[in-house]
Amino acid sequence: MKPLRIALTKGRLEENALSLFEKVGCDCTAARNKGRKLILPVDGGRFEVVLAKAADVITYVEYGVCDLGIVGKDTILEKGGNFFEVMDLGFGKCKFALAGPVGTDFFGGYSAKTVASKYPHVAGNYFESKAMDVKIIKIEGSVELAPLLGLSDAIVDIVETGTTLKENGLEVIEPICGISARLIVNPASMKLRKMEIESLTEKMEHVCKS
Amino acid sequence: MKKNNKTTPEGTKDFLFEECLTKRSIEKTVSGVFASRGFNEVITPGFEFYDVFDPDLSGIKQESMYKMTDKSGRIVVMRPDLTLPIARLTATRLQNLPKPIRLYYTQPVYRNCPGLSGRRDETTQAGAELLGAGGIRADLEMISTAVAALGGCLPGFRLELGHAGIFRALADRLPVSDDVREDIRVYIETKNYAALDALLNGLEKSETVSAIRKLPHLFGGEDVFEKAAFLGGDSELSPMLNYLHKIYGLISELGFPGRLMVDLGLVQRNSYYTNIVFSAYVEGFGDAVLFGGRYDSLLAYFGSPMPAIGFAVNIDDISEILIRRKMAPGVRPADVLVHGADGYEVNALNHAGSLAKKGLKCENSVFAGEDEAVAYAKACGIKRVDIVGKKIKTVVCCQ
Repeated sequence: MKPLRIALTKGRLEENALSLFEKVGCDCTAARNKGRKLILPVDGGRFEVVLAKAADVITYVEYGVCDLGIVGKDTILEKGGNFFEVMDLGFGKCKFALAGPVGTDFFGGYSAKTVASKYPHVAGNYFESKAMDVKIIKIEGSVELAPLLGLSDAIVDIVETGTTLKENGLEVIEPICGISARLIVNPASMKLRKMEIESLTEKMEHVCKS
Repeated sequence: MKKNNKTTPEGTKDFLFEECLTKRSIEKTVSGVFASRGFNEVITPGFEFYDVFDPDLSGIKQESMYKMTDKSGRIVVMRPDLTLPIARLTATRLQNLPKPIRLYYTQPVYRNCPGLSGRRDETTQAGAELLGAGGIRADLEMISTAVAALGGCLPGFRLELGHAGIFRALADRLPVSDDVREDIRVYIETKNYAALDALLNGLEKSETVSAIRKLPHLFGGEDVFEKAAFLGGDSELSPMLNYLHKIYGLISELGFPGRLMVDLGLVQRNSYYTNIVFSAYVEGFGDAVLFGGRYDSLLAYFGSPMPAIGFAVNIDDISEILIRRKMAPGVRPADVLVHGADGYEVNALNHAGSLAKKGLKCENSVFAGEDEAVAYAKACGIKRVDIVGKKIKTVVCCQ
């Protein structure tokens, strides 16, 4: 039997994900001293860990080339896809929020507003649920710049502490939804390798709850 | 202006040689199984009215359909599903035939998938539908047909059973809006335990709520029926569970060689399924390769209510699996190259024709000279060249 292959999101969630594996008793030495290798054995080869960008974690799991993945709810909401979202891992907590220059009355008036976001899909769904017609512009980098430069009236972005907003004269107009890291599973893998996957998720659940 | 005349649209592809051979051989195997069991082939139009595939009925999103308008400006779509056209056809043109009606098809379906996802927009499905028959005999027949059809192409797959009625019965009892019910369905379908719990925690506690909470966990082998025993006291659910368990036992008796699984949390978007549903999975492949179930209320939508059950096999997926596992038939060179000397061109074609009748694969030489013909045969791996002149001379090419 091939080892279960798990895709981890590089960066913000990586450390938390690895320590979660250590807490469930997996030896992560190889993954911690990764060098340039992309596929890393965990727990003496019982699992294989792949480090990837958040959106790619979803792609790999969707296609079943990775059985499981750890990825932020932000990416799940933006990208969507066909997979099981079996657990809220509780780390990497932050929120999506609508933010704009301090003191703006975003919802006032009837003129259509312009919103900049790295997450156009999330922003689109949010305004659709409010039945608001809004022009959404996709921005790749620091979204906070858009209202400052006069490109948009507001932004939809991830807010962790709110410090970046504050330092740039912006504030949260309305929180949209909470975000945290999720464990996702390929549906076919879930069916075909139920025992292995469930024994791992049960341990993780135990750790996450304690 | 830049012309898009050298590539095919995203989501489509050309099928070449072994891909074609593999695809056709799978189609042949599967349709052979269907035909031998008394199913008759039908071909439905490549595009049909949008209303046939009404999203409320089909669960297919509007944005997943390729749309055009017909001559009167009505919306037509490239067919995104094959069960609905069969239901339309049976409920209208075939409604007066003696029942049951057994139909099969091998046709492409079209879905406008999200860009750059690598998904195919055009895929071929082969399926069988048994219409105008309910009950365990019909259900067993279709599951056994599915097993035979898939088993003929692929060794080793797992069959999964579920029952669409279980979730529906439970969900109908919840005092929630249709939107919330749909959220619950999605959370169960995606096994999103966290979101399901959060949503259910907001509802008043009841046996229904706790049963729904457990539903997505109830998958696996026969032990699932033990775990679902707490539903046994429910007069609406217990007949469904017992029925599923009975089918489970009988399929094992059918001599199903692979592993059988149950998932009580199978609550697919295809909202037309009413009772038993089943799907097949293959190791190392991320999607189900076969999917089907009973849809007893679908034909009423087309004006002629009758029970029905059917399934479809995803031919392209199986073809990809076979090619990946190197189990696909290869393209073999011709057995003979027939070359006619000057003035003997017709004799050469006649000779090739008579060899072909004997079952040999014969290619005609279009070259001016014998040497060129032999060189070509060597290059293509053709082992024998027949030179037709006054007499027929056979040259054996060894690689």
